Amino acid sequence: MKILRSDHFAGYVFIAPWLFGFLAVTIAPIVISLYFSFTKYDILSAPQWVGLMNYETMFKYDYLFPQSLKVTFTYAFTSVPLRLLFALFLAVLLSQDRKGVGAYRTIFYVPSVFGGSVAVAVMWRQLFGINGALNSILTSVGAIDRSVGWLTEPKTAIWTLVALAVWQFGSPMLIFLAGLKQVPYSLYESAMIDGASSWQRFFRITLPMISPIIFFNFLVQIINGFMMFTQALIITNGGPFNRTLLYVLYVYRKAFTDYSMGYASALAWVMLVIVGVLTAVIFKTSSYWVYYESKGE
Amino acid sequence: MRRILVFVLFASLLTVVSGIGAAEEQIVLRVSWWGSQGRHDRTLAVIDLFEAKYPHIKIEPEFAGWDNYWERIAAQAAGRNLPDVFQQDMQYLSLYGNRGMLLDLGPYVESGAIDTTYISESELAGGMLNGKLLAINLGSNAMVGIYDPELFAQAGIEPPGPEWTWEDYIELGRIVVDKLGIHWATQFPGNFFHAFHHVLRQNGYPFYAPDGTGLGWKDDKLLEEFFRLELQLYKEGLFASPALRDEVSSVEQDLLVTRQAATAWAWSNQIVAMSLAANRPLGLITLPKAKDQVKEGLYIKPSMFFSVAESSPHKDAAVLFIDFFTNDVEANKILMAERGVPISSKVREALQPYLTDVQIQMFEYLDLVSQHSSPIDPPEPAGHPEVNRLLDDLQSMVLHEVIAPAEAARTFRQEATRILRSK
Repeated sequence: MKILRSDHFAGYVFIAPWLFGFLAVTIAPIVISLYFSFTKYDILSAPQWVGLMNYETMFKYDYLFPQSLKVTFTYAFTSVPLRLLFALFLAVLLSQDRKGVGAYRTIFYVPSVFGGSVAVAVMWRQLFGINGALNSILTSVGAIDRSVGWLTEPKTAIWTLVALAVWQFGSPMLIFLAGLKQVPYSLYESAMIDGASSWQRFFRITLPMISPIIFFNFLVQIINGFMMFTQALIITNGGPFNRTLLYVLYVYRKAFTDYSMGYASALAWVMLVIVGVLTAVIFKTSSYWVYYESKGE
Repeated sequence: MRRILVFVLFASLLTVVSGIGAAEEQIVLRVSWWGSQGRHDRTLAVIDLFEAKYPHIKIEPEFAGWDNYWERIAAQAAGRNLPDVFQQDMQYLSLYGNRGMLLDLGPYVESGAIDTTYISESELAGGMLNGKLLAINLGSNAMVGIYDPELFAQAGIEPPGPEWTWEDYIELGRIVVDKLGIHWATQFPGNFFHAFHHVLRQNGYPFYAPDGTGLGWKDDKLLEEFFRLELQLYKEGLFASPALRDEVSSVEQDLLVTRQAATAWAWSNQIVAMSLAANRPLGLITLPKAKDQVKEGLYIKPSMFFSVAESSPHKDAAVLFIDFFTNDVEANKILMAERGVPISSKVREALQPYLTDVQIQMFEYLDLVSQHSSPIDPPEPAGHPEVNRLLDDLQSMVLHEVIAPAEAARTFRQEATRILRSK
């Protein structure tokens, strides 16, 4: 009875629905998928225990595993820096007090709202298609003399996905904006009195002051980049010959078109480890390039 | 929107009907299929007809497009909740059949529950797996070459007869490229897999070993030469560039339809859609033969099947429905060969007066193919979709010249064998 009256009990009751959901819908499938990763499981018949076979196949024989990793790393480590640069550039412009700046901020955020949708992915396919708008524009200004299949050429296909990612710069831009507002104006004032140019002020004051924000954005976006799926499925579906086979797309393919749920689970777990290690590495390096005003004693 | 409306109407109808019929002993039969709106409308109308004739059976329809359909069937199979009757495809037959999920319909054919008086044995052969009849063919199909008679006339060439060879195929192609400056075809008839399968059959080999654990041919040269030929024909302009080819995603964009190529290919039940898109008369030809071929490469294929789930509690009713679907003339007047040419000769005859010009072309083409074909190979093993994708990737790499034909052929054997053994 004592338990019933304690404050803790009420607390647990209140979070019970969430806790149930978390255990049943998040934790349970994760644990089960770890089990599946050691089995051969075709969805239709019961899983068979095969030990480390899936992992062995992955590291020894499956040429699509390194290929999809290569594509995913290329994608994440080009699209994220480009997106952040673009977001920072616009954030700096928009942080200045000008007329109608609020309207611009809203407009620039729009692609981020739509960018993840299927409709935009379909539009992207039209845009970069062989009869698409990009080819029309480029041929009319004489930049190219023959239409290019941007999505079907092995050299260009991945860059259409990178371009889509860069275009969705809205949310890092907003976070940068908030960060820029936090930089004390007094720092700029004293720098100006000392005769610092605007470039010097940017590199010596702005960048160090917002480096924690850059760090935060970079980390979140890289993890997001590794999770890229919907647009890749719709726009290129891995083609031409696996040059855009992003990792999650490969996992999906193994699970739902090849009915190799065990192997797909193993792939997913390897992904988890890779993202974990990567995050740890980024955190470790942060002490070299991230500046914290207070060390958080 | 229309689909949703139909579904809602149907759902409400079902509730009303089930309310009335609850007093009697009613069988509820779940029937599932994939297809387009046209197929849904026709199939639903046939279900109405069936229910009117057999009031003690009520049918619960489930239908979807191809991709969603197979994801749903997989989930239902995993949950031991398969529909009583469900549409089946050649490439999934062994996946479900080898796991004992499909009812052997052989005994029902013997007992006459499925009437085969007007159905030849070869029409049923496609649904056989390890000596069991696991699916009933819903219509016959064959690969078909399609050409534009107007463009042929402009190039000054005669449409070839069924005896034409691969050499003729290349020669005519060169004339078209030369005279008209357009492509001969988007690619080999049947995409790379079916075209190469055709060549293998002409050489007397099946694509897969009978037990499904490896490839059915030994000499890598066959594939290497075919890779090399495709590369050469692409460089000569007979075939479209891989980039252009990969952009084609619907019948309307097909290079024959847009007059960028003089020929195309399809499965015979698809020519109705293609001539609709082209909006002009198109001619049909068989696929080329090989000089000194061991056997005919072409074969007649079940376009799709109905299977009965082994887990179904109403097997007799399920069989009754399939028999009705296959043999009932009135039902087939509604279906109008949309799933391919009906397997019952009585039904085919009854439909004759109602056929459109294109449908007549399709029926006549299948008659022609029956004289220039050999029996179909057993269903593909479970790893087929993966192997097919591998082959597709490799031929694309050959055309982009990032891999040499010989190496591509070697890689294919190595990887395909690994995939097939892992299943």
